[in-house]
Amino acid sequence: MTSRSTTVLVGIALLFAWLVIPFAKAQPLSTPVKAVQLTGLAGVKDNARGTLRVENGQLQFVHGKANSDLSAASIQDVVTGDDSRESVGKTIGLMGMAAPYGGGRVLSLFRTKIDTLTVEYRDPDGGQHGVIFTMPVGTADVIKKELVAQGAHTTATGEPTPAVDPSSTSPNNKEQK
Amino acid sequence: MDRILYAPLRLSLLTLVIAAGPLLAQKSQPAKINAAAFQVAMIQSDEIKLPAEFRIALYENLIRQLQKNGFSPVYRDGDRNAKSIAGLVILRSTIRGFKAGSERARQVTTFSGTTSIAVHCQFTSPDGTSLLERDMNGKVRFFGGNLKATYDFAKKATLVARENFSVSGEKQ
Repeated sequence: MTSRSTTVLVGIALLFAWLVIPFAKAQPLSTPVKAVQLTGLAGVKDNARGTLRVENGQLQFVHGKANSDLSAASIQDVVTGDDSRESVGKTIGLMGMAAPYGGGRVLSLFRTKIDTLTVEYRDPDGGQHGVIFTMPVGTADVIKKELVAQGAHTTATGEPTPAVDPSSTSPNNKEQK
Repeated sequence: MDRILYAPLRLSLLTLVIAAGPLLAQKSQPAKINAAAFQVAMIQSDEIKLPAEFRIALYENLIRQLQKNGFSPVYRDGDRNAKSIAGLVILRSTIRGFKAGSERARQVTTFSGTTSIAVHCQFTSPDGTSLLERDMNGKVRFFGGNLKATYDFAKKATLVARENFSVSGEKQ
């Protein structure tokens, strides 16, 4: 009796796992991520805001009504990193600079961590290009994994590249000569 | 009376001397090297650990600044079309120093947090013969993100290219 109920329970668990696992795996593939294209994407202005997603072997950056696609197979390297940006907007930041006794500088202390995604690819003539995106923290790695799964190459397989901005504690902040 | 008569003569002599200065200076400048086109090689940073976004920003800004300043065509690293160009000049850049700095420190203190990149630039012919070598740097001292240092370097490198090379397709 006990063995029969155990078998039934295991069966139900296996059925549940069979139903749920494919969905869990596929979920991030269709999730667009808000991103800023800092530089490098042909035909797109620097600092263009849009959404980034990986679909059908393409890295798609949708900005306004335009759409820029990059084939994952043409990607030679994908590297993630981290950085930070001001939490307050540019206008408020500039207005704050006019505050007396340097009071506006306090605003500069409030910064939001962001991820960077650097993509290197070759055009049909073999010319090398590089694109830099920034996006909310924790999302660059998901995009990287999706790209690699769909045929992109990467040289950095481990941890993301060290932070560039945060306050002078990382060894990278020391001048290397 | 004599003073009044000689005044125009003195004035014309002075004008001649002032006008001749720049002309003589132009003559003393070294002749520009003729380049049919430029190719920008990917930035090398074997000795110095440079974040990928800096390497790419340096490369992309260099290409953009050269194009902006009238050098045309500018080929990218690995572009097959560049192989057939006679008189091609390849710009190879190697990172010699990097200090990441901090945008936050710059904004709060204005005297610390400078980001700087030291780059050794080599202009070569396709067979590897060195035509010109310079050490340059890119810095961001006060305003802007750390990547702005790459833009500063690209502008300086383009200035060196303008001073030393003339491209047949260059827009004046």
